[in-house]
Amino acid sequence: MSDFLHFSEHTLQEVALVFMTCVYVIRIVWFLRFAAGKERQGQTGSGATSPTKGFIYSWANVAMPWAMESTRTKRSLYVQFVLFHLGVTTAIGLSFVIPYAPGLLENRVLVLVLQIVIGLAFLVGVRRFIRRVSDPYMRAISSPDDYFSLVLLTAWFLFAVLAVPNNSAGGEWHLLTYFWLTAFFLVYVPFSKISHYLYYPFTRYYFGRSMGYRGVYPIRRVHKAKTS
Amino acid sequence: MKKSTAEDSRSHKAQVVVDRLGEKLNRQIVGSLVACVHCGLCTDSCHYVLSNPGDPTYAPAYKADRIRKIFKRHYDWTGRVFPWLVGAETIMTDEELEELKDIAFGKCTNCRRCSLNCPMGVDFATVNRMTRGLLVSVGIMPEGVATVSKDQWEIGNQMGVLKEDYLETLEWMEEELQDELDDPSARIPVDKRDCAVVYSINPREAKYDPRTIGDAAKIFHAAGEDWTMPSDGWDMTNFGLFSGDDELGGAVARHLFDRVQELGGKKLVISECGHGYRSTRCEAPNWAKYDVPFEMESSVETMLRYVKEGRIKLDKTRNSEPVTFHDSCNLARSCGMTEEPRELLNLVCTDFREMYPNREENYCCTGGGGAMSMSEYTPRRLKSGKIKAEQLKATGAKVVVTSCHNCVDGLTDVIRHYELDMKVTQLVNLVAEALVIEKPARAPAVAEELPLAGRRIVVADDEPDQLLYLATVMEDYGATVYQAATGDEALELARKEKPDLVTLDLSMPGRPVTEIFELLRSDSELEGLKICLITGRPEMRELIYQRMEIPPDGYLDKPLSEDDLLRGVRKVLELSHQEG
Repeated sequence: MSDFLHFSEHTLQEVALVFMTCVYVIRIVWFLRFAAGKERQGQTGSGATSPTKGFIYSWANVAMPWAMESTRTKRSLYVQFVLFHLGVTTAIGLSFVIPYAPGLLENRVLVLVLQIVIGLAFLVGVRRFIRRVSDPYMRAISSPDDYFSLVLLTAWFLFAVLAVPNNSAGGEWHLLTYFWLTAFFLVYVPFSKISHYLYYPFTRYYFGRSMGYRGVYPIRRVHKAKTS
Repeated sequence: MKKSTAEDSRSHKAQVVVDRLGEKLNRQIVGSLVACVHCGLCTDSCHYVLSNPGDPTYAPAYKADRIRKIFKRHYDWTGRVFPWLVGAETIMTDEELEELKDIAFGKCTNCRRCSLNCPMGVDFATVNRMTRGLLVSVGIMPEGVATVSKDQWEIGNQMGVLKEDYLETLEWMEEELQDELDDPSARIPVDKRDCAVVYSINPREAKYDPRTIGDAAKIFHAAGEDWTMPSDGWDMTNFGLFSGDDELGGAVARHLFDRVQELGGKKLVISECGHGYRSTRCEAPNWAKYDVPFEMESSVETMLRYVKEGRIKLDKTRNSEPVTFHDSCNLARSCGMTEEPRELLNLVCTDFREMYPNREENYCCTGGGGAMSMSEYTPRRLKSGKIKAEQLKATGAKVVVTSCHNCVDGLTDVIRHYELDMKVTQLVNLVAEALVIEKPARAPAVAEELPLAGRRIVVADDEPDQLLYLATVMEDYGATVYQAATGDEALELARKEKPDLVTLDLSMPGRPVTEIFELLRSDSELEGLKICLITGRPEMRELIYQRMEIPPDGYLDKPLSEDDLLRGVRKVLELSHQEG
């Protein structure tokens, strides 16, 4: 391993990670400085609903594709969502495994599984890009950040697939590219839409609690056999 | 030399909107503004999108971005540092505010369907309501919103119903009830103190649909309820919900809550109205910062409770036509009331058919969010009703029931526009129809006088079928009818025959009906003549109601059932009789 690759795997990542953490902390502090709206109304709806049940249901929503019409009727998009986010998690994990636990990657089966997971995420990234460019509805709501973040992640997946075996015998360029992309990713993320997961727990908490107060969450699925 | 900045050239109103946006932000709103990932999953959840294929400007995320970009430019530092990257833009001119108005009021009914379909929990409906509030605060809003808000501020109810008219309607309904039940103890008590129930209504009931008041009174009477209606502060609707004006919302709510407290009422029962129930029961305590010390319930819950407690008996065979149910957005998606109306429906009719999708996934009637008062958007609203029309048609029902007055009007327009063979009614009407009341035995009348006997009426309508129908019904009930196919003919007949009443269709060929109306009103020989408007275009109401010094004596919406026509005409004529 060259010194440059060692620097890229360690120091560069650590600095980028610290930077990302700092910006995240600032963003969270900024967000929490907005006072939360209060609810004075008495609870409506049946006894099966409550603010607590509401926000738990709301948080669990991500794992219940049947709960929302938008995910129930667009199953392929939900599958893409799952694959994409599995790929993100795996590729992030890889950036820790390579420098700190490279021995794990001597297991060929594990390498293959990781490559498949990240490879599928790469394909989803390509599919998502095509959808964003070709669908007039998607184009109308897309900002430069939407395109750039998607391209960045998709490219990152590609190099993550190549980096999984952690083999520099044929050259280090793929590992270097993966780690430099990871570092750029860590620095860029707090400024982009990719940081949505930072707000997700809050938005779903407040929306779920409110819907729980109003007797809407958890949604009662009764006699809805014909629902689209 | 001072460098010019964007702030220097921004219009005053745009600057106020930018500043007030900052004051409106709370954590929930900010969350909804920063969390959208533009995944597009909300797109197909909007009835505007589904009825306007190929037009992405109706997509919820697109609409939300119109205010989101301003937020990002001014309040989110990523947008301040990298505006080009995250699509942040400021707003500079009044024209841009007008464009924002077109989106916030004209392309969204705040139905909340997209909010429930957003994986991120972005509540676009709340963001849109906030946007409306910002625009209203600088006077940029549809004319109808301004008119209705003004009425609610100044007169205390959103349809400008005067106290004397309201009380007269209650008296009239009380008389009708006593006649129907042949029971002088059947009353509509006003301002009775310390009652178990204070009943509040939508002003639409007093103005256009008094039958619902009579039906509710019949049910309260049959249940032996200790109830009353306030003479003031009786409007449970709240235009603050639609206009985004929390101040109006709070003031209206306090007026109602204070009145219930003054009367010492134990429980406030809110008549069947989606936005009224949501406003009063859920939002108002927040807007008014008021901890409500009494119970509140929807009349749907009240009626169901009466049945369960055995206080009223129903004969469901009296409602045998196939019936479907339309969930109001406000009740289903913002108050969780989906099962109670169904439970009651199954007790009150023999053939209930579910509509799909339903409950919190139902589509908007198109009349929500105050859309019925924004006549400039009517063509767009009716076009967006395509998906609703398909839903209704698929049920095969002849009657669509809804627990919301906006939905009644919205659905009636959709049914008329898409030529569906259906009528709209409310649960209170079905329950009153099915109510089993044992009347005391009495000897049959030898001969009853027809209700319109001796009345002379000029009926004007340019549609021959409609003219014949109206004339036939009125003649069957004893009136002498003169038919006119144009406004000028109606004017000529009125001057010649000196009738008690002229009914005018609002859209007839020839001279504008507003002009005919003015000529009838200003003719000294026709003093005391009553004028009733009958039209299939409710958006034209404003032409007469808001612009004439003396409004018409009555207003009826087409299509009209025989009962509604007779009731409306009798009301206009009986008021004239009382005045005489």
